[in-house]
Amino acid sequence: MSRRVGIVGAAVTPFKATWREKTYYELAQMATREAVQDALISIRDVDAAFYGIYNDIFERAAIPEHAIHGLCGMQNKFGIRISTGGATGAYTMSAAHAYLAAGRFKTALVLGVEKATDCFDFSSMSATPEVIKSIGWSGDSFFEQSIGWSASDSYAEVVLAYMDEHPGDLKPEITAQISSILSEYAKDNPVAQRQHDQVTPEEVINSRMVVYPFRELEICVYSEGAAALILAEEETALAISRNTGKPVVWITGVGEANEHSFAGKNQKNMARIMSDYYGSRRAYEMAGITDPTKSIEVVELHDAFVHQLEISMAEFGLVPLGRADSLVEDGLMTPGGKYVVNRCGGLIYCGHAVGASNIMSAWSARNLLIERGRGAALVHGTGSTVAQYTCCLILELQ
Amino acid sequence: MNDRKEKIIPSKYIPDVGAHTETIDGNPYLVANDTMYTFYRRTRGEFSAFFLALRDRKKLLGCKCSKCGLVRVPPFLTHCPDCDFAPTEQIEVEQIGIMNSTPPITYFATALFQHMAPYGRGRVIFRGADTAMSVNLYTTTGILVPGMIRKGTEVKLVFRDNRIGEVTDVFCVPTAELSREQIGKKGLQESELDWEAPVEPQIPTASEQDESVFRQTFDEITDIISRMNSNDRARKDIADWKRNIQVKTRGGQFVIVIDDGNIEVEEMEPLTIDFVMVCDDPRTLLDGLSYRGAITDSVINKKLWISKNAEFTTVFKLDRMARSVARARKVAE
Repeated sequence: MSRRVGIVGAAVTPFKATWREKTYYELAQMATREAVQDALISIRDVDAAFYGIYNDIFERAAIPEHAIHGLCGMQNKFGIRISTGGATGAYTMSAAHAYLAAGRFKTALVLGVEKATDCFDFSSMSATPEVIKSIGWSGDSFFEQSIGWSASDSYAEVVLAYMDEHPGDLKPEITAQISSILSEYAKDNPVAQRQHDQVTPEEVINSRMVVYPFRELEICVYSEGAAALILAEEETALAISRNTGKPVVWITGVGEANEHSFAGKNQKNMARIMSDYYGSRRAYEMAGITDPTKSIEVVELHDAFVHQLEISMAEFGLVPLGRADSLVEDGLMTPGGKYVVNRCGGLIYCGHAVGASNIMSAWSARNLLIERGRGAALVHGTGSTVAQYTCCLILELQ
Repeated sequence: MNDRKEKIIPSKYIPDVGAHTETIDGNPYLVANDTMYTFYRRTRGEFSAFFLALRDRKKLLGCKCSKCGLVRVPPFLTHCPDCDFAPTEQIEVEQIGIMNSTPPITYFATALFQHMAPYGRGRVIFRGADTAMSVNLYTTTGILVPGMIRKGTEVKLVFRDNRIGEVTDVFCVPTAELSREQIGKKGLQESELDWEAPVEPQIPTASEQDESVFRQTFDEITDIISRMNSNDRARKDIADWKRNIQVKTRGGQFVIVIDDGNIEVEEMEPLTIDFVMVCDDPRTLLDGLSYRGAITDSVINKKLWISKNAEFTTVFKLDRMARSVARARKVAE
């Protein structure tokens, strides 16, 4: 019988376009210090560390976690790094959950950190082309990297294939409204990179095309920062909760799926994000959720692109496939609507410090659940080429 | 074959050894030029036959499962995972296929592909294959724009004249742009296509009214560029960037000079011009600079022409400056 696992502490550093004042060592320690403080425990009470760091090139080091292990006070203890593209943070939480549920440890540090924008392109004298070039090394190295594979164009493939099947969905005026809503949400998030960058739908539509069909204000922004959670098995979690006075936010469901990298018969169905479908269904099943439209109120999903946010919501079963625009048209995710989606501003406005992003999403979901005093949240990470990887977690107050 | 001597990393990407300090809240922080580099003599292994067939024989190979008959192109594997790893055999497939889905078009490329933008990359199911192969997509008629190639569009595989045994040895163009002979030819090469050369659009003679519109628009452009020049964020957008852009419109011409954080408008032509922008109506450029629609979109929609596609990078910087000024205006309000 596996043990229940819950979140008892959390912290996020500010997400910034660049942190010249701090290296990833200090960012990692900063989030760790604040997370153990939030749980009112000492780092000496933490049994194991799970590191979410996406890309060696960003950190400019292979096995970048080795340096931070001791600096975070975890010397001589278990430490493992997870790297699954954009879904790194979510998979890191999944791994920590599994070890705790199995009884290997009583407490664990889940730490995501990324220092992306040290990458710099000296031909255009700007960071972004080099950041996306670094991510470009994640594409298939024999058949796709050399013809211009990028994270944006691979997700655009999925979005355009969905639009081939559902030509009336993902309308530009709806994606623009969603981006505008997220920008308004970011106003309340003190760690958001774009906390003060509220945009109108018109501004979104007027922003430049980056990769068709994505406009600049419909794409997540690369960030630097760290996020940390303290997870604990049931008995320990309840003891910590009694001490802090904060309720345990339980991880009641976890589900993952990785699709095929390549397309065609028996391969990836490009018009679907089946990883989101299977990942969410597996998480629902573990949490005992039979109808997510009745159980899920809070969603913190990995919005790499607004269009993908809409498709993911459909794959989660929260709106019908082909009718994702109902998120706005029927007021489902507009303020006061049925679902609170990406209250932190999402990765588009809070920022995308890749390994830390999904952990930041869990931090936001935990805050919302505690604030509301009820409900269930779906936390999601997507990654790799063509939205291949998904990890979903269900968080609940009980 | 390619007998050009090229470096694995072009020199323009390689910075000098050095460092600088940035001051934040009164404290200096050191930022150093740095790199991680690793060179390879990379094994092509079981893919060798595929790449050699592209390079030497202008053939497209796939692999067919001996049990289920599924044909994968490119030949990703020697044994089929769907059939308990039954062996596959290499076969040749045709060089015409259809788009598996509508392909994306990249306008803002990574550092490695800025010279290629805008470019399409999509997946083609070639006749005789069951899976889709990733290829670059081009049109022979100018800039690739949305709607030109869609799901189901028939395309033809074209071979580069200089082939090096990489997937870049081939690309696809719509068969609708080719003659019957070209469609039927196996091993069609890029030099056999009729590429429409970029021709600078001719601007009609200006009327008095056109000249009046130009004067007014020029004053407004001068004003917005002056605001860009006094906006720290906008100046940062063009830090370390130098370009002289000749702008030609119906009512008149001028030059935008970008010089490492400074931007100015001049009516006199400088000694060197890096590229030319042509827009019949100068208000098209004014709208872009004023953040009323992106200049990038005007290029895509053919309202504004640039003489070098590689200068999309500069167009992006101008779009970013427009946004920086618009943000400052919103904050001030």
